[in-house]
Amino acid sequence: MSTYRLERRLEVDTKKQALTRVAGALIAMAVAGLVLLLTGRNSFKILFDGLEAIFGSQRGLEGVALRAIPILMTALAVALSLRMKIWNIGSGGQFLMGAFAALGVGIHVNGPGWLVLILMALAALVAGSLWILVPALARAYWDVNEIITTLLLNFVAAQLVTWASIGFWRDTEAAVIQSTKRVPYRLAELPGTDSLTIALLVPFVIALVLFWIFRSTTIGFEIDTIGGNARAAAFAGINVRRRILLVMLCTGAIAGLGGMLQLSAPGARQLGPGYEAQFGLTGFIVAALAGGAMMGVLVGGTFIASMFFAGLVLQTKGLSVYIIFGIYGLILTGVALGEMAARYRLVRVGDAVSSERVAS
Amino acid sequence: MIEPDHSYAVEARGISKYFGGVAALDGVDFKVHWGEVHALLGENGAGKTTLSNILAGIYRADSGEIAVDGLTHEVRTPAQAIEAGIGMVHQHFKLVETMTVAENVHLGWPDTPTLVSQRVLVDRTNHLMEEIGLHVDPTAKVWQLSVGEQQRVEILRVLARGAQILILDEPTAVLTSHEARDLFKVMRDLVSGGRTVIFISHKLNEVLEVSDQITVLRDGVHEVTRSAEGATPRELARLMTGEERTLEVEHREITGETVLQLEGVTASNDRGVVALSSVDLVARSGEILGIAGVSGNGQTELAEVISAMRRVDGGTITVDGEDVANGLVRKVTDLGVGHIPEDRIGVGIVGSASVKDNAVLRHYWTEGLSSGVTLFRQAVVDFATRLVEVARVQTRSITATAGQMSGGNQQRLVARREALLATRVLIAVHPTRGLDVLAAQEVQTAVIGQRDRGAAVLFISDDLDEVLLMSDRIAVMYEGRIMGIFDRVDADREAIGLMMGGHTLEEAMAK
Repeated sequence: MSTYRLERRLEVDTKKQALTRVAGALIAMAVAGLVLLLTGRNSFKILFDGLEAIFGSQRGLEGVALRAIPILMTALAVALSLRMKIWNIGSGGQFLMGAFAALGVGIHVNGPGWLVLILMALAALVAGSLWILVPALARAYWDVNEIITTLLLNFVAAQLVTWASIGFWRDTEAAVIQSTKRVPYRLAELPGTDSLTIALLVPFVIALVLFWIFRSTTIGFEIDTIGGNARAAAFAGINVRRRILLVMLCTGAIAGLGGMLQLSAPGARQLGPGYEAQFGLTGFIVAALAGGAMMGVLVGGTFIASMFFAGLVLQTKGLSVYIIFGIYGLILTGVALGEMAARYRLVRVGDAVSSERVAS
Repeated sequence: MIEPDHSYAVEARGISKYFGGVAALDGVDFKVHWGEVHALLGENGAGKTTLSNILAGIYRADSGEIAVDGLTHEVRTPAQAIEAGIGMVHQHFKLVETMTVAENVHLGWPDTPTLVSQRVLVDRTNHLMEEIGLHVDPTAKVWQLSVGEQQRVEILRVLARGAQILILDEPTAVLTSHEARDLFKVMRDLVSGGRTVIFISHKLNEVLEVSDQITVLRDGVHEVTRSAEGATPRELARLMTGEERTLEVEHREITGETVLQLEGVTASNDRGVVALSSVDLVARSGEILGIAGVSGNGQTELAEVISAMRRVDGGTITVDGEDVANGLVRKVTDLGVGHIPEDRIGVGIVGSASVKDNAVLRHYWTEGLSSGVTLFRQAVVDFATRLVEVARVQTRSITATAGQMSGGNQQRLVARREALLATRVLIAVHPTRGLDVLAAQEVQTAVIGQRDRGAAVLFISDDLDEVLLMSDRIAVMYEGRIMGIFDRVDADREAIGLMMGGHTLEEAMAK
């Protein structure tokens, strides 16, 4: 009699792992489809409608791209911190503060559009990193867990934005009650598109730069070393505190810039409740599933954005929002399980020890 | 039905185990009588741990069978092993540090009452300790205990579950020599009570001291089982390694200049207690200065202040005349100081990083490996390839993670990396601890080689034999002070032993 058993692999092949994740997502979709079929819905039509929503028109692809930008920005921010085993749960708050600062500049500074936009971006970078400064100092100097501090600051940022949108920056001309004034400046449009601006390029550039940093530079080496073993990093003469500060401020800055880019999205350009739309959380999921790999973040972030966009369109076609959220969850679970699956392999074990025989 | 033969506690027949097609064990027979300490001896990778993991139900053998007390048993899980009467204490303890001794003993034990008060747990634990003859404060939290005491809790846990056959996997690797003595006493008590102890080790002296029978494994094959009586370390070493090896260390007149100088160095340990008080030391080029002493008398801190890992509270440390006390780690590295740290895997290695990244961990920023901004990847690969070759590190590739290599290979990597950096000073802290004979000799050879190239070596070990073998001069440390320094020729073993125990030089010489 031979049986099979799971055995942990010593080394995980990252290419295979990418495949198992895709397989996990596909299996999850199949399961979702089966359940929908059993409840009397036409899953093939739903799948077709979803794919058509994304790939059927330029509008669909642009819709995905618009949703991908904020998710990619927060995901890259979190991925950077994850390389050092630092959990920035506050990318949503940093995102909001970036938008908040950029908006302040946008509505109060008059000047040539390109200049104001650059100032807005700088303000967003600074605001995002300032929003994580206290958690960063606390972590670097007193080893205070950053998960709690960064998470709680999200709520503070949300309150501040609400205050701005009903108070000091409230849009007094429009009929809506909770919204700030609009920024009169827009980023340059991407040629050949209806709704996209050069904001779409930013996450890709940042991902490439981060990829290069971790592949080829001493700073990337140091960040990975600290993430792997902080005591060994100190033994290597790395100033661990300074690197923690650097990485945490950069992660805040990237998320903050994401908030400014979102201001340029059509229909946004102003702040209000719902502006952050769980981008921080979504970005966190993407970064965690990608395991801190920058190229993985690009793929995963785009995938999740397409999924969200398809879900939105399906809602308009009458599919319940609860079903859609259920499918999201199933697919993400499938990806996570796919990631795990690559760490194991099935081995056949022979008849090792026969039972209950009496020895001679 | 044939009457079972009760003469053997454990009888493993024809055990084979393959990992990825490689035989870790190849048809091994292993027989252990009741009431004996049976040592399982072999080098790293010889299959000792694999065999004991099979007996303890952690691995399943690919072929072969196991009989306990004459009855063939299916041992597929640790629970089945315990049922058969086999329990194992691992090298790395599996205790919950924030819980009390009593709680740890009862954790995951079917006999633990479902609803139970602390007092009952403590009473039950006390009762058990009385019965078994092992004593630890049952109300203490595990993190408050010394390593030796934690090990006793582990043994207690296993015996409480009814194990009659106790497997100890390299139990002395984490112990001080004093704690090891205590453990040996416990082992003797257990076997005199009729139990059986299987003792895994690669330390020949210990094995000869405590065992009744010795089984030697080599490369997954059963080499010999013999009585410990009349066995010699030399013979066992030959059986383990397959060849006769003893290290000959040549000692010459030291004429080199002073490289490392400490004057009045005072420092505290992690808990803020004085660990070094007014230490004066001089190490010259081309000599090995041995530091003898019982672990925990300031040796770790001494090594750390020199490599700028720890701040000094007073005094000066110079390398080639440059003050390095409270300086930057990189400046010290730059001056040619290498440091084989005591906790090589916790401090010297990044397990999740590749072997090649670990090879350059301590000098990736130097000229030749980086421009200051970018790493020269080809140079890193070249260096790592060379290091892996000279250190004889066994790894599938230099891009594999360091964490998946065996502990022995990780140690070789660290030892040789630091030796290469140590053009002026090499600080070696227990550099051979936990290594088998062959690997230990390689590390010792690397240390001697560095001395012969003109480095001053600080050789810190609590194994007095090793210090005497390696050193040109020997300093004795006790409670953060240097009790005296001997030239090799004047080194008196007895006197050094007394000074390690706190006697002054005068007292020691008078006796």
